[in-house]
Amino acid sequence: MRLVIALAAALTLLTTPAMAQWKPSGPIKMMISFSPGGTADTLARLIGEEMEARAGWKVIPETVAGKGGNVLAAKLKNEPADGTSIGLITDQIGYAVLAEKDPGFAPGDFAYLTTVAGTQTGLVAKASKGWKTLADVVKDAKGGKKLVVGALSPMYADALYLLGKHLKVNFNIVNFKGGNSVQNAILAGDIDMGFLAGVQRRGVESGTLVNIVSGERSRLKMTPDAPTLSESGFPVDLGARFLFAAPKALKPEAKQALTKLIVDIVQDPKSKAHGFITKSLGDPVVIQGADLDKLIADSFAQAKMLLSKEGAN
Amino acid sequence: MTLSLYDYVSIGLQAVFTAHPAFHVLGVPISMAVVMLVAGLLTGLIVGAIPALSGPFAMAVALPILISTFGFSAAALLPTLAFLLGVMKAATLGGSVPAILFNTPGTPDAYLTTFDGYPMARNGQAGKALRVAQFACVSGDTMSDMVLITTAPFLAVFVERYMGFPEKGALIILSMAFIGAAVGASAIKGLISAVFGLFLASIGRGDDQTPRLTFGIPDLANGFSVTVAVVGVLILGEVYQAIEDLAHQHRSKTSPSPVVDRGDQKLHWHERLALMPIIGRSGLIGITVGALPGIGSTLAATLGYAIQKRRHKGAVPMGQGAPEGIAATEAASAAVSGANLIPVLSLGIPGNVAAVFILIAIDTIGGLNPGPSVFTLNQHELNPELVMVIGVFVIMMLGNAINWTLGSMLMRRLGVLQHIPPRIMMPLVLVITVAAIYLQEGKMTSIYFALGFGVIGYLMRKMQMSGLPFVIAYILADDLERLLRQGFSASGADPWFLFSSPLAVAFLLASVVVAFTMSRNPIGKTIIKNADPE
Repeated sequence: MRLVIALAAALTLLTTPAMAQWKPSGPIKMMISFSPGGTADTLARLIGEEMEARAGWKVIPETVAGKGGNVLAAKLKNEPADGTSIGLITDQIGYAVLAEKDPGFAPGDFAYLTTVAGTQTGLVAKASKGWKTLADVVKDAKGGKKLVVGALSPMYADALYLLGKHLKVNFNIVNFKGGNSVQNAILAGDIDMGFLAGVQRRGVESGTLVNIVSGERSRLKMTPDAPTLSESGFPVDLGARFLFAAPKALKPEAKQALTKLIVDIVQDPKSKAHGFITKSLGDPVVIQGADLDKLIADSFAQAKMLLSKEGAN
Repeated sequence: MTLSLYDYVSIGLQAVFTAHPAFHVLGVPISMAVVMLVAGLLTGLIVGAIPALSGPFAMAVALPILISTFGFSAAALLPTLAFLLGVMKAATLGGSVPAILFNTPGTPDAYLTTFDGYPMARNGQAGKALRVAQFACVSGDTMSDMVLITTAPFLAVFVERYMGFPEKGALIILSMAFIGAAVGASAIKGLISAVFGLFLASIGRGDDQTPRLTFGIPDLANGFSVTVAVVGVLILGEVYQAIEDLAHQHRSKTSPSPVVDRGDQKLHWHERLALMPIIGRSGLIGITVGALPGIGSTLAATLGYAIQKRRHKGAVPMGQGAPEGIAATEAASAAVSGANLIPVLSLGIPGNVAAVFILIAIDTIGGLNPGPSVFTLNQHELNPELVMVIGVFVIMMLGNAINWTLGSMLMRRLGVLQHIPPRIMMPLVLVITVAAIYLQEGKMTSIYFALGFGVIGYLMRKMQMSGLPFVIAYILADDLERLLRQGFSASGADPWFLFSSPLAVAFLLASVVVAFTMSRNPIGKTIIKNADPE
């Protein structure tokens, strides 16, 4: 019997491709560019837990938040490129890079592994406002009502400014730190509406909040009736994809092994990470390789547009 | 599915008692939150009874350790808060032990307990004095918690309904002015301390994508962490000062004569009933003082004692071993702790050092954002924040119950802790604090920063400038800046936005009045004199 097991083990070893044999030389530092306890942070930690359980590698999550991911990216660039350092950022990094005078890194400094999930960004207002579409908002704004709108990061502030121009109304744009504070301000009546990246689900389902328009490339899972910004004649993608990156010099076998493990986890319906994504972020979004590089390039192109003379002023 | 308040309370009870069991006793799960509460209570009793240590110190050291143990998940919040609340509750109780047995107050507020506690002990009534202290302490604490539970939700809702960005910003300015003016040797020093806190807090923060005031140093890109600044100024500054004091003074060898119990040590029901009005009055004083930011338990204890002294009609004169004196002091200082959490939970503004650590724990772990959303009774889908906060209330009440029962058994045995010499204690404190900071921050630069903040705290002590306004301003700076920016943007760039509503103007006027008059009238002077040194 023992012989059979040994043989089977040997066979498995022989037949498994080389990439599966890649092992990190020590514990993997998983840097997270979001504040602890939030959706993205929880997602990263769940993936980390599962990586430990599946591959037996030690994963140590570390919060490196700040400046839209810039703090993390500047740090990640100088980490060892042996697969022991990865970081969770979003594809909105393009905006963060271009908006900062000297971020200390360039987009080419990284090996992008894979995206894992996307946001469910919508322009949200209290249901009691009676707004169902952008047209309702415009009608009220043109009636002389001063509209105060919230932005969960500077990128959304620029987008809101451009959206206001597009709709020919004036928004008073207020900056917030993260979606929860925007949502609190909407509920408290401090602001009239704002973009939220998924936290609004509970409020939308209970009928207190409404998604007026989807900020994603596609319509929202929770409000399929709301059109996208593009469909409304304003072709901007405000959705974000959460993705793992590593320092540029990462060896292909390490990149492949890490990517495969992460993708397996988020796509496995039995994994906690998958359950969390479907509950809080829609469906897993897996984009890798050339497609992912294009996604990053698109993010830069859009950021350039947002930060152009039109957007920056 | 509709959820009533009853459902929320039962889910909150489950969160405390059955979720995440640490182990089982005879098949009954004992939850991590309960285990941590008991551990916190024991720690609080012990640090309270050691004269060189205090509750906030234990909270400061425990916080990083708790966070690295339990992590940042929602499940981490209750055990962490349970431990901190346990320490907060039990430290006052522990502080009365050496005050009564050895004439040495274990915590600053217990100073007044020595007036009547030690004479009672010398008269052979040590056991009774300890029971009076325990009875008053736990009653005051329980009263205070009940006020917290009934007030905080309404205050939070009021804030949501009537206060926008300018009002909230103005309220933070008022809190800082009040703390600055009310704490420490003089109002101007307190205000300087607060403004200095605001300045250091501005490093690396702000709205701009490029980090502010960092001189290009990457480690400053996110500013100094709150833990590093707070622990440095409050704890390390104190340690440096204590080490310097040790170098100067030789320990006095005269220790008070040991106390011997004579006669009946029980506190009978008729005696308890007789103490009730005094405890009730002192409790109300403590609650009022506790609900105001900055002025803490020492002032409450002083007021409680002074009023009792004026009204005293008991058989034994005050100061010569009157149980009423102990009750008046202990009830007042214990009643501060619960009420102190009213501004924390409803506004996110801490009132004293203990509340600072509770707020840091809440902010760091996440999952509970102080403010109106916490108290929203969501009927269709569970509001996890409300469950959490009900869990916190349950833990507080459970802590009181444990203090009622186990406290008396342990108090007498704590007397032995008085004999630990500070020259052994202080270096230990230094090492544990630094290790705890490394545990949370995970980098050496944080330790250097903390040691640097310690020097700031030490120099402030030398100048008789309180560190508390610095710390509270440091914590609130981010909120203040954000609220002012938001208020400005929301008003459509109106430069007078801060004066746009009567409430905001009233808060700002009150800030000016508080800052200018606090040191110039007898009431203000009494408050300043008796306010917590920390």
